[in-house]
Amino acid sequence: MSARVTNVAVLGRDAPLWIAAAAIQRSLGHLGVSVRAIELPSILQPQDVYSAMPAIQGLHKQIGLSENLAIAAARAVPLAAQRYSNWAGASPPWMVGYDDPPPPGSDVDFVHYWARGRQEGLKPAFEDFSLAASAAKHARVPVYQDGSELSAAYGYNLAAVPYTSLLKAHASRLGVNVETAAIENVLIQDGRIGSIVLSSADRVEADLFVDASGTEGALITRLPGSQFEPWDEWLPCDRMVVASGASINPPPLYSQISAFRAGWLGLYPLQDRTAIIAAYNSKHISEAEIIESLPLLARIPIAGEAIVSPLRRGLRSRSWIGNCVAVGEAAIGVDPLESLGLYATHTCVSHLMALFPVERHAFPEAERYNREIALAGQNLRDIQSAHYSLNRRFDEPFWDECRDRTPPESLQRKLEVFSLTAHVPLNDEEPFEEQQWAALLSGAGIVPKRYDPRIDVAPDEALIQKVQQRLRDIAVAVPNMPSADDFLKQSREELEVAK
Amino acid sequence: MEPMRDIVIVGGGTAGWMAAAAFAKTLGATHRVTLIESEEIGTVGVGESTIPPIILFNKLLGINEDEFVRETNATFKLGIEFVDWARLGHTYFHNFGLLGADLHTGISFIHYWMRWMRSGGDPDQLRFSSEAQAAREMKFGRAQMTGASGTQPNINYAFQFDASTYAAYLRRYSERRGVIRKEGRIVNVRQNGESGFVEAVEMQDGSLVRGDFFVDCSGFRGLLIEGALEAGFDDWSHWLPNNRAAAVPAERMPAITPYTKAQAREAGWQWRIPLQHRTGNGYVYCDSYISDDEAARMLVDRLEGKPLADPKTLRFKAGRRRKSWIKNVLALGLSSGFLEPLESTSIHLVQVGLTKFLDLFPHRNCDPILIDLYNRDMAFQYETIRDFIIAHYKVTEREDTEFWKYCKHMSVPDTLNAKLELFRTRAEVKPRNGDLFSEVSWFAILYGQGLVPAGYHPLADAMPEDELNLKLARIRAAIKERVDGLPSHREFIASCCASEALVAAE
Repeated sequence: MSARVTNVAVLGRDAPLWIAAAAIQRSLGHLGVSVRAIELPSILQPQDVYSAMPAIQGLHKQIGLSENLAIAAARAVPLAAQRYSNWAGASPPWMVGYDDPPPPGSDVDFVHYWARGRQEGLKPAFEDFSLAASAAKHARVPVYQDGSELSAAYGYNLAAVPYTSLLKAHASRLGVNVETAAIENVLIQDGRIGSIVLSSADRVEADLFVDASGTEGALITRLPGSQFEPWDEWLPCDRMVVASGASINPPPLYSQISAFRAGWLGLYPLQDRTAIIAAYNSKHISEAEIIESLPLLARIPIAGEAIVSPLRRGLRSRSWIGNCVAVGEAAIGVDPLESLGLYATHTCVSHLMALFPVERHAFPEAERYNREIALAGQNLRDIQSAHYSLNRRFDEPFWDECRDRTPPESLQRKLEVFSLTAHVPLNDEEPFEEQQWAALLSGAGIVPKRYDPRIDVAPDEALIQKVQQRLRDIAVAVPNMPSADDFLKQSREELEVAK
Repeated sequence: MEPMRDIVIVGGGTAGWMAAAAFAKTLGATHRVTLIESEEIGTVGVGESTIPPIILFNKLLGINEDEFVRETNATFKLGIEFVDWARLGHTYFHNFGLLGADLHTGISFIHYWMRWMRSGGDPDQLRFSSEAQAAREMKFGRAQMTGASGTQPNINYAFQFDASTYAAYLRRYSERRGVIRKEGRIVNVRQNGESGFVEAVEMQDGSLVRGDFFVDCSGFRGLLIEGALEAGFDDWSHWLPNNRAAAVPAERMPAITPYTKAQAREAGWQWRIPLQHRTGNGYVYCDSYISDDEAARMLVDRLEGKPLADPKTLRFKAGRRRKSWIKNVLALGLSSGFLEPLESTSIHLVQVGLTKFLDLFPHRNCDPILIDLYNRDMAFQYETIRDFIIAHYKVTEREDTEFWKYCKHMSVPDTLNAKLELFRTRAEVKPRNGDLFSEVSWFAILYGQGLVPAGYHPLADAMPEDELNLKLARIRAAIKERVDGLPSHREFIASCCASEALVAAE
């Protein structure tokens, strides 16, 4: 291993830049790998929020960032579920909770019991059997409880600007060399990046370049052999607007996602305010109109300005070319639905770390990375696309169009199989477990026609007992969980002790 | 949609009775299950060697393992010994279970072991496998994570059993639970003129057996899936040229090995599967390189014990039925495809085929979406196992016979090429979701066959050397402690699951 990768340049901005730089530095820094972070001007607004699935806790572990520090700095509120309202006519809202999958070798999954109940005319909603949804509704944080068979996880809503500052400080503390610059030129040699010329006339040379510049793709787009494949057809919102509203006390432990005639609006509770994101299609509502309707849609007072930006949805056909690896939005563009944005960066960085090149001259890892990222991107897209295509808002042109479009083939398969069997066929690199998919699809109104035949073998009383037991288990577990206030208080105390 | 009531299984044998048992257990209360077999048509089953997922199948059926071992003359299996595969005189072991332990750093133990080995550590990676160490010492026990420290590794295992008694065992199990067995030969298959669905099979005595759904376990010929529904066959013999096996039982081994042996031969390989009452042997070969008579003679000449019968020759072709499920017919076992028994995957493929079918259990109309999903999943199963088996032939130094020259230089599927390339450069063997063989298995085979990776994950160098040495020493100590505490394979069998034949012999 004569020709190891020893110099890595990460170019980009905001959370993706610092996550990528910190991950590489923390894992490989003391092996003599030096990481240089070149920071482009931030595009974050004070109103911005990073909404993160439970996987964020794994990311923090990976980069060695204290959970309590992140909660304090980013004014974070735990996130146990997403709550969807107004997506289906007069149907009640539903939740997608972060329930853990049952341990392997368990009995038939609970979704099949629910499906049978529905077939027999029983009325419980799927979320009644979800520990995470129940915790979220009762404003309890689903921390792990010893000995409990049911368990759930939680992510966070994080204020983007202070969270990014924390990540930057953390990366520097780990030993990342940080500089702020603008790109003058990128020199390409033999399908690789030779060097980056900065506006300071400084040249950056490295064995490996990581592009964390967001939709711009400041490095990856300079290399031949990569196209951007748009997903506009399946992810119809082309703009987003961010704003800030009054805090809700106590803060809900779910994001509230409400559809309106040309898109949707989400409320993301933080400790000191409520972040607001609305995603919409600009053909169906104008910028002026959406800004004007925000207070009405959000139903909370709005403080300060609302800021509109474009949304780029799609996949870079190859995100690792030569010595350049794109992560985050430079590779995969999704919309903010289901809190998948930060996760897209996380998944790219995890794959890069798993395949971190052995040697700087040849990169046989690239093909594998590209395949994995394409699949990961497709899975993210399918989750969001399912929400749009299963909407039941009739006679509104935006939503009618969403329903009329044929879903991506991979999603189509999931919809068909779930409708027929209550199973969800999972791909590799899925961010969702079967539990989240089942919550999403059943919430959106699909009642499976069949369920696992093994359930029919059991006598009715046993089934009723099983269902009641589950409801009892949830009813017992939730009151033992900490409230949001207690959780945050404990986090602050732990932080004090650590200091 | 109308529910299914009547399920008809065509063909006994291992696949047929496995299906009957699984249906009896999971659908018995709500469905009628009939199995048709003919005493005139023999079953292919010889000595069968299995892999650890069979434990899950036993669990699904809820069978008592000791009883099962006793009644099928079974022995326990911790892996497979491969002799003469990388080169003549070379031996390696495909161990079940883990290699080392998860060091919780996000990368596989294999990379740490590579680092250690390259800086002068013992190149025998099997010292980090409790299964391989137990196999070397001819020991066995059903040991779960326990020990004073709570850190002793599990013992993962499978079984080696007599296939005909296995089928008989499952038959008793199924018949007790209401499966109807019908003796006789099928002479005709009746299909609906419009839909093509199979409606009934006609028996030699003129009677009709009707059903809503048919499971084709008729073996290579695929009476329903090919005969009636013309599924078609993907021929893989250019990658897996073996197309014959000579099989012969021999006297039981004085010391029963807790593993199967696969020894490479001039035109294929020879198996040795130890059972309680005898030893199963066979020579799997390609008839372009050796004649049937010669293969049979070679097999008998090289037996370790006295033969108990004349060798029997079996014919097959590597490949897969293009579709395992068409309309209301599901093919299981040999009727859905054949991969040589090198990695003991035949029974496993039946098991996977069955559990996937139960997951997607259809109504009478058999929705094409379910069928499509099933066929894709099964294609993936067959193809990943196929690639794994091909690797045994492709990655070798052997060129001493025409057969081995062909194997070493043949082109292999792209999926396998990509895998070999990442292994060669960085010891990366991360399997895909749903791949039967874990990275431990892939590593055992590729490294065992002689492919030594040029590098490993750079992160493996991050751990301080003393810490790594300490961790590796601890793992080895835990393995040693575990294996030291195990009884011999023979003692273990005698203690709880000796068959009548074994008791009589001893």
